[in-house]
Amino acid sequence: MIEIKNVTKKFGRKKVLKDVSFTAKKGEITCLIGINGVGKTTIMKAIMALTPINSGEILIDGEKIHKGSYEKITFIPDTITMLPQMQIRDAFVFMADFYDCWNQGRATELLQFFKLKETDRISELSKGNTAKVNLILGLAMDVDYVLMDEPFSGIDIFSREQIADVFTSHLIEDRGVIITTHEINDIEHLIDKVVLLDNGVVLKEFDAEEVREKEGKSVIDVMREVYKA
Amino acid sequence: MKRYLKLVNFEFNRFFKLYIVLIGITILSQIIGVIVESRAYLNRANELIYKELMLKSEFIEQYGTMSFATISRSLWFLGPIVVCGVTLLIYVFFIWYRDWLGKNTFGYRLLMLPTARMNVYVAKATTILLYVLGLVALQLLLLPVESQVLQWMVPSEFRTDLSVNEITNFNDLAILFPNTLIEFVLYYGAGMAAVFIIFTAILFERSFRIKGIIYGFLYCVVSLLLFFAPLFINEFILGNYFYLIEMFFIELLAGILVLSCAIWTGNFLIKNKIRV
Amino acid sequence: MDVKFNNRDPVYVQVIRQFKEQIATGYFEPGQEIPSRRELANQLKINPNTAQRAYKEMEEQGLIFTEGKLPSRITKDEQVLKMVREELILEAVDTFVHSVRSINVPVQEALNLVKNKYDREMN
Repeated sequence: MIEIKNVTKKFGRKKVLKDVSFTAKKGEITCLIGINGVGKTTIMKAIMALTPINSGEILIDGEKIHKGSYEKITFIPDTITMLPQMQIRDAFVFMADFYDCWNQGRATELLQFFKLKETDRISELSKGNTAKVNLILGLAMDVDYVLMDEPFSGIDIFSREQIADVFTSHLIEDRGVIITTHEINDIEHLIDKVVLLDNGVVLKEFDAEEVREKEGKSVIDVMREVYKA
Repeated sequence: MKRYLKLVNFEFNRFFKLYIVLIGITILSQIIGVIVESRAYLNRANELIYKELMLKSEFIEQYGTMSFATISRSLWFLGPIVVCGVTLLIYVFFIWYRDWLGKNTFGYRLLMLPTARMNVYVAKATTILLYVLGLVALQLLLLPVESQVLQWMVPSEFRTDLSVNEITNFNDLAILFPNTLIEFVLYYGAGMAAVFIIFTAILFERSFRIKGIIYGFLYCVVSLLLFFAPLFINEFILGNYFYLIEMFFIELLAGILVLSCAIWTGNFLIKNKIRV
Repeated sequence: MDVKFNNRDPVYVQVIRQFKEQIATGYFEPGQEIPSRRELANQLKINPNTAQRAYKEMEEQGLIFTEGKLPSRITKDEQVLKMVREELILEAVDTFVHSVRSINVPVQEALNLVKNKYDREMN
C-alpha cells in the first residue's frame, strides 16, 4: 500500500499541497482527478522522492522510499525519460542494465502490441508513440506499483484506446496503480478508487463502485457535487 | 559498485563523440603546428642565408635553433589545449544540465535508479576526471611523435632536441604534467576538488533554483575561504609562523576538509533536496 | 461481447445482468465454459477487480460454478436457469407496467397493443 500522510509542500510561499492524505492499494487502480495545476504531478514526484516535501510522510508498504524501492515502484511521467538519440532497443538495454526487475520478454510483448519497432529512434517518434514507449519502460518492470502522469493527455484517439486496453490486461493486474487525469471519460469503468483534488487539497476520496451502488451516482456526478460545493 | 561502473561507462559514452572530435583537433592542430612553425623557421633561414648570405652560425646566433620550445608557445600547440580545457570546463556544467533542461527529462530516470544517488554524482565526476586524464595522456603520447616530425622537418644543425621530460617542464605545461607524485596529487587533487565544489553548487541551484544560485555562489565562496584560510592566517596573523612543509600539510588537510564538505553536501542535496 | 455500460449503476451489476440476458437468450448454454475474469475484463474493458466481483456475486447466486482450478461454467441447475428467465421477464413487465400505468392506460388496451406490436415484430 502507498500511504500519503498529511503531506504539505510549498514552492516559495505558495502552498501547492495542503495536508494531503490518501492511500492507494496494491491490486487497485487509484485515480487522482483535478484540473491542471492542482498538485497531481507534484504528489507523484513527492512519492518518488523527485521533489522534497515540507511536512508529512509517504510510506510504500510501510517504509519510506529508499534506493531499493525503485525496484518496487516506478513512475511514468508525461515526458519520455530516455535520451532522445537512443533507439528503443538502446533504451531497453539501459533499463536491463540498471534494473533487476526489468522484464525483457514483457517489453518485447508490449512493443509488438503497440506495433513499434526496436530500431525506432526516440527523437523521431510521434507524440502518441513516445507516450507508448514511455509506458513500456514503466510497465516492463516487474514492480508492485506504477504511477502514471496523464497517460491519455494530448494523444490521438487510437493510441488512447490502445493504452486503455493495457489497463484491463495482465500487465496491470495485481499491481497498484496511481494515475492522474483531468478528464475521466476514457477510464471511468477502469478505476477502483477516486481521489478528487483541488488547489492542493483532497476534497474527497471514494470507491467508484461503492458510490454507484449506494448512491446511484457516476464518478462525474460526484465530481460535479464536490466541485460545485 | 556494479551500477556505479555502469553509470561511469554510460556517462563516458554520452560525451564520447565530442571527445573524439577534441582528440582529432588536438592531433591535427599540433602536428600541423609543428610543420608550419618548422617551415616558417626554415623559410627565414633560407631567406637570410641564401639571399642575404648570412652565415649559418650567424643565423643561429641571432635567431636561435629550432626546438620544441618555439612550437610549444605557438597557437597551433596551445590553442587545442585551451579548447579542450574550456570544453571540459563547460561540460562540468553541461553534464548535469543536459539531464534537466529541454524536453527530455533524463534526470527523472537517473534519480529513479535503484542505486544510491551519490553514485550518479560520483560517476559524473569520475567521467570528467577520466576525460581530463585521457587528454593529458594523449598529449604525453603526442609529444614524442611531434618531436619526431620536428626532426624530419628541420636539419640537425638548426635544431636543439628536447626530451619529453624537458618539454613538459616548460612553464606553460608544467601544471598539466607535474614532475613529482606530490605535485600530481596536489594539482589534480585541487582540480578534482574544484569539480566537486562546482557540482555541489550546481546541485544547490537544481534544488533551490533561483535562490539556489545565491546559495551555490555563497557555498563556493565559503569553500574557497576555507581552503585559503590557513595561508591567510599564517601570512597576516601569525607572521609566517609555520615552515613551508608544515603549511603544505595544513593546506592538504584544508583541501581534504573542503572536498569532504563538497561531497557530504552534494550527497545531502541529491538525496533529499533535488527537484526535477 | 460488446457492451455499453452506463456510469451510474455499479459496473459489476451491469456485468451480471449481461450474463443473465445471455443465459436467458441461450447464448450461454448450461454448463458452458465462460471466460476467465482477466479475459472478461479485457473483453469488456473493465477493471479486473470488477470482473472478479461480478463472478463472485454470480457464484453466490448459483449462476456459475467452479470446480477446483478449472474455468468457471454456467450452472446446469434447471431451477436457477428458469429463475433467471423469469426474473428478466418479470423485470421487463414491471418496467412496462410502471410506465403504462403512469399514463393511465387501461390494462385491456395495453394488452391489445402489446399483442399487436408483438405479432408484427415476430413477422
